Amino acid sequence: MDSLDAVDAPRVAVPQAPTRSWRRPAAGPCLFGAGLLALPFVSNDFVAYQIALFLIYGIATQGVALCWGRLGFLPLGHALFFGLGAYLAGGLLKAAQQQPAWFAALPLALLLPAALAYGAARLVFARSHRSGPFFSLITLAMTMLGFLAAQQWSTVTGGFNGMADIPELPGTERYSTFYWAVAACALGSTLLLTGVLRRPLGLLWSALAQNEERLQLFGYATDRIKAVAFAFSAMLAALAGALFAMHQGIVTPLTMGFVLSTEFVIWAAVGGKASPLGALLGAVFVGYASSELRDHFAYWEVMVGVIFIAVVRFLPDGLAGLGGRFSARAEEVPQAHKTPAPDVKAQGAGVSLAFEQVESAQGGVRILDGLTFELQGPGLRCVIGPNGAGKTSAFNVMTGRLPLRAGRIWLDGADVSGASAWRMARQGVGRKLQIPSVFPGLSVSQNLDIALWAGRLRPAASLQKAPLGWDSALRGELLALFPALGKQLGAAAGSLSQGERQALEFVMTMLPQPRLVLLDEPCAGLSPAETHHMIEAIKTATGRLGAAALVIEHDISAVAAIGGDVYVLHQGKLLARGRLAQIQADPAVRAVYAGARK
Amino acid sequence: MDTSWLLYALNLAYALATLGLTTLGLAVVFGLLGVMNMAHGEFVMLGAYAVVIVQSWGWPIATAMPLAMLVCGVLGYAVERWLIRPLYARPFDTLLATWGLAMVMRKTVEAVYGRGYRNIESTLSAPIDLGGVQYPGYRLALIALAVVLMVCLALWYRRSTMGLRVRAMTGNPVLAQALGIDTRRLASQTFVIGVVLAGAAGVLLAPLVRIEPGIGVDYLLDSFFVLVVGGLGTLGGFGGGVGVIGGTQSVVSSIAGQTSGYAVVLILSILFLWLKPNGLFGRR
Repeated sequence: MDSLDAVDAPRVAVPQAPTRSWRRPAAGPCLFGAGLLALPFVSNDFVAYQIALFLIYGIATQGVALCWGRLGFLPLGHALFFGLGAYLAGGLLKAAQQQPAWFAALPLALLLPAALAYGAARLVFARSHRSGPFFSLITLAMTMLGFLAAQQWSTVTGGFNGMADIPELPGTERYSTFYWAVAACALGSTLLLTGVLRRPLGLLWSALAQNEERLQLFGYATDRIKAVAFAFSAMLAALAGALFAMHQGIVTPLTMGFVLSTEFVIWAAVGGKASPLGALLGAVFVGYASSELRDHFAYWEVMVGVIFIAVVRFLPDGLAGLGGRFSARAEEVPQAHKTPAPDVKAQGAGVSLAFEQVESAQGGVRILDGLTFELQGPGLRCVIGPNGAGKTSAFNVMTGRLPLRAGRIWLDGADVSGASAWRMARQGVGRKLQIPSVFPGLSVSQNLDIALWAGRLRPAASLQKAPLGWDSALRGELLALFPALGKQLGAAAGSLSQGERQALEFVMTMLPQPRLVLLDEPCAGLSPAETHHMIEAIKTATGRLGAAALVIEHDISAVAAIGGDVYVLHQGKLLARGRLAQIQADPAVRAVYAGARK
Repeated sequence: MDTSWLLYALNLAYALATLGLTTLGLAVVFGLLGVMNMAHGEFVMLGAYAVVIVQSWGWPIATAMPLAMLVCGVLGYAVERWLIRPLYARPFDTLLATWGLAMVMRKTVEAVYGRGYRNIESTLSAPIDLGGVQYPGYRLALIALAVVLMVCLALWYRRSTMGLRVRAMTGNPVLAQALGIDTRRLASQTFVIGVVLAGAAGVLLAPLVRIEPGIGVDYLLDSFFVLVVGGLGTLGGFGGGVGVIGGTQSVVSSIAGQTSGYAVVLILSILFLWLKPNGLFGRR
């Protein structure tokens, strides 16, 4: 971040081409605000009235862009929440004409759709984090159900003809002053979203889209993060819907329809799904142009389709990505003052782990076949065994990656069988994967921040600036062990070499200060010198934390250097356990490795 | 009473046959290639318009079939080559790109032929007496044709060398390549087969439906639901999906009305997507 900010400084000082000033994060919303302010004066009330409609659509589009461009799942049915917001607001405003107390219920028009979105997303995402495309189709089907309901339930919704005669928002006039309410909401949602993206939560969203599993292994309940984000985006759509009801005075089932859902997606794509302002302007420009040109130019919508295809194919971040390099920009977060990170929640001294007759199978293949072992207290242990022995699978079954068919796993006397990845992480279990797993699009320093926040970041703090400056003594010590990382804090983690990525993931695994560390071939792909260095680092770090570690390792000289007990796995069972010399003398182990018998 | 039962069974068979016909193309493209082709319905629509065009030219209706297959095949080849192939690794983008394609196809047809409904004048619907029930001959022919087409496709998939290579490609594309299978060409051919099937379905259905540029969406969604419920890439899944979706829709519709039938299908699909995303007979 240091380097990026340094690069930014001269740009601020030399305001030249307007495109340049877009690179300042606040410049876009400021220009946008000025434009909104000027619009009714440079044009007329009628144009402002029409633009307001597309600002309203733009707010809903921002919700779609948040889920799609930030969190990486595409909602195909945001019209459901738009329509719900519109019907609820319309109904409440009509009721308030008779009984003003109903005005107090107006927030429900936002909260109920958000609650529905939260519930649906929790239910779906809790089942699997690979449910992305299915989730899209579920939201689509939900919208179509909503459309049917709106059409059929005519006593409430007015059926096909819609709910008409919705009064204006008190204090505003539909064709003049209501514009200001819409403009304020559009500017507010843009500023809010831009702001959140520059807070820890925004960084977690980006990390989630890039590598959800890694985030879970740090103890983040990603299904909840996604559900909250989805609820928030649904609330934006519902706000837009409520404004729509006040703006149009009539709500028809089309506000809940498939077509509107698809238009949100198209506007978000063309404008730029990674940028809140881009998405909003996409809706305003494409939407307004469509409404103006649709009737004069028969091929207009064909052209929109072609543009949409071209954007999907060539411009993943839409026109905003083309104009202002927003995606790279938004990953950047402001620098905060260095403060010591709060302590990790104290966990019981010592650590014990026990596998008891653990069985796991997938696709009809038995992977673990009654694996039983235990370890007590801090220190390093190695896990060895031929390919297919079940080493990585033993880790997988502990962190919810493989189903547990039978048996029990105990951590400090508590039954943790079948616990999910994030629950295990919160129990103080850290894991490094076999293929180094980092957040490739984030900088090294941001990768480290996310690891440091694990177990420390309370929900409220994820919206504050302070965690961006958190530091811990361990962070400094670990970076001192790997000076190459310290020199590349501003570089994207995806640009690191294999060895550096191994080092980064190791440092990240240790930062939440786990009690038990599962290291899966931490020396894979490293040179002998690097291997030696890594082993020293593992010893130093686990010693510093008083943690226990299980290290999967193939290289016997590395096993010797690590020291400690060695567990030999074979065909999903524990074959032998003891010091390396004992293991090497064990006839059963020799038979497995030398192939005397299978 | 006996005959009303027969009529009911025929209607059900007809509903399943049309659903199966329109789903077949997507079953190939989505089920085998994993491409969520959102323009599937528009290829069906093109097939239906081929009949409209042929009729307006005064040609015999039968010529619509080769025309539709040619148009869909050429278009499908171009789409696979320049739109889908660069996006195979990006499923969301494939979905969106084909969605854009659907929009372009729909709006182009709308711009050229207008939004209005078209009907096909055909003499094919002369009723046939079947054990005391008068049933339109064309519908009977369609049911038979759907069965024949599905058997052919099953034989192609299970018995032909191309079917074998396709199965190899879907099972393990890298290994298939290592064994000398040109998966790029094969994927292209498979895609073309899928959209040609969609176009052919459009031609066959043209005399029975009201034709307008927007009909594609319904076919697309029904097909998606069939594949979601049944599971991808297996014949059992295809059959099961057609049975469950088509059966539910026509049974519930006949009892509680068309909207309820559709609502039940939607709810069923949501439940499957949520609880059993690999469907009844999923490959994975």
